[in-house]
Amino acid sequence: MEKLFESQWKEIKEADILIGIPSYNNARTIGHVVRAVMAGLAKYFPKAKAILVNSDGGSTDGTQEEVKKVGIEDFKMILTSHPVHPVHKIVTPYHGAPGKGSAFRTIFEAAHLLHAKACAVVDSDLRSITPEWMELLLRPIYEEGFDYVAPLYGRHKYDGTITNSIVYPITRALYGKRVRQPIGGDFGFSRKLATFYLTKDVWETDVARFGIDIWMTTLAIAEGYKVCQSYLGAKIHDAKDPEGDLGPMFTQVVSSVFSLMGNYQHLWKEVRESQPIPTFGFHFEVGLEPISVNVERMIRNFRLGVKDLMDIWRKVLLPEITLWLESVGRLSDESFSFPQDLWARIIYDFAAAYHKGSVHRKHLLKSMIPLYLGRVASFVIENQESTAGEVEAKIESLCRVFEEMKPYLIKRWE
Amino acid sequence: MGEIWKVAISDSINKFLGKVITFLPNLLAMITILIIGFLIAWIVKKLIFRFLKAIQFDKVSERWGLVEVLSKGGLTYSPASLLSRFFYWIIVLITLIMGINALDVPATQNFIAQFFNYLPHLFAAILILIVGYLIAIFLGQAALIAAVNAQMESAKLLGRSIRWFILILSLTMALYHLGIAEKVIIAAFTIIFGGIVLALSIAFGWGGRKLAKDFLERLYKREGKENEGGDHISHI
Repeated sequence: MEKLFESQWKEIKEADILIGIPSYNNARTIGHVVRAVMAGLAKYFPKAKAILVNSDGGSTDGTQEEVKKVGIEDFKMILTSHPVHPVHKIVTPYHGAPGKGSAFRTIFEAAHLLHAKACAVVDSDLRSITPEWMELLLRPIYEEGFDYVAPLYGRHKYDGTITNSIVYPITRALYGKRVRQPIGGDFGFSRKLATFYLTKDVWETDVARFGIDIWMTTLAIAEGYKVCQSYLGAKIHDAKDPEGDLGPMFTQVVSSVFSLMGNYQHLWKEVRESQPIPTFGFHFEVGLEPISVNVERMIRNFRLGVKDLMDIWRKVLLPEITLWLESVGRLSDESFSFPQDLWARIIYDFAAAYHKGSVHRKHLLKSMIPLYLGRVASFVIENQESTAGEVEAKIESLCRVFEEMKPYLIKRWE
Repeated sequence: MGEIWKVAISDSINKFLGKVITFLPNLLAMITILIIGFLIAWIVKKLIFRFLKAIQFDKVSERWGLVEVLSKGGLTYSPASLLSRFFYWIIVLITLIMGINALDVPATQNFIAQFFNYLPHLFAAILILIVGYLIAIFLGQAALIAAVNAQMESAKLLGRSIRWFILILSLTMALYHLGIAEKVIIAAFTIIFGGIVLALSIAFGWGGRKLAKDFLERLYKREGKENEGGDHISHI
């Protein structure tokens, strides 16, 4: 850890609450996030000694200055009359591989050193964060004795497609806990769990990047920590370039899921069914911004995969699955459909191939992208007229397919 | 007269026996070398095989597509077995040469010296070919997947072109290293490479108009994505 950073810790000595905000060029939104965090701490934890750590990846757009600029005067209006402990703000660059996971590592180190009782991390690009998020992410740790709080959001029916089509169904089927947003990005955790995370040597892998969220969630579940989720409301964040981010995002998240399957195979092979986990917060309907999806382009990409990547897929999938895929590829745009059980088999086959190492792992994961886009296109077509509740029911049905097909995974794995 | 004959015959016999006596230790040395050499070859083969099994060489080879190539070529041995056998025969070959050398026959000396001078080149050429093949397979596949994900219609062509380019390059390097018609090889490579570039230029300009169109369209769309209606979903 950097010398200056270390001396700052020594000066602070300890804290009750620690909030981490990883950032990289988020000057546009981070001010709002810091204000919401500070207001939440003042409103819900006025007596607690709180530290805000901005773990920055070398922003060049003034992100760090934005964090420093926010002061307590900005939100006097919403504060109660309780005496308020000043919130210390530390802006620090993180070290190691560039990525979200490395930023989190710095936050874990701070939580460990400062003996923080409860910690939370929130994304720096959030536009929908409110002060209530602090209570919802911290209270279960601070007062209820939980170790890990996953978020639960109201999201657009087409949003979070890696979560809905892969990570949620497979995590639930494998580890038996229904954590609806296992890679949500905003979490609460105890110092005990942060210290445990630090004992793992994963900071040169995909965990140091986009894989951090699923790694945190999986470890919390698999290692027997007390896990719950809190309903935070809408999740709206700053617009990114989904096309530019999809490749690394997809491969890093999926490779983390598959690697963890190898680590915890002794555990998930014994899990027979899934259970709900304690949920905090008041569930309410939220208004969400419309999203444009180019289904034709996704189908085109899928068909291109069927045409050109079949030789690679044949090394991974059973012959009947490849035939099935070819028949899906021949469907017209209007009747395009990628069935749930086909999708579950494909995910399980790729997980087994990743485990066996029969195809170069990076190539294996990248070759999955056209299949994923095919499944997303089918999901969008199926749900064009569906309400949020109906879409959730479809996701629930996909999860059940993943659970029912677990014996297939075990067979293919061995 | 009879005396002369007697002396001549006994001289011949003595000379022959002298040669036999001189040659006999060399022969025994050769036999010893052969026995020890074959034994070392057998031990090395076993050790290499076990080492390759321990590092899961067969699995890695399968991942790199080597098993597929071997089976296409009709070879039923596993890559670990094949490589250990290769080293066995190399040691056997060296043993045979050393054995012949131990006979101390002048006619073979020059040949053996030349062979040993050439041996490093042979090894280097084989290594270049193996590494070149593996790189060609890896990069060809990487380019194919990247091109499909970039939605290039001619992804397969691109993957194959890269694979063949690296294969030809490594073959050229191997032949150059072996000193086989160096000038011809360089000239041939220059002609082939120049030809490929020319063919690509023509193809890109005329035959591959679609590829060029795809490429330029993609570049254009990346700049003006909004016009086409891109995706705004958050995947995570």
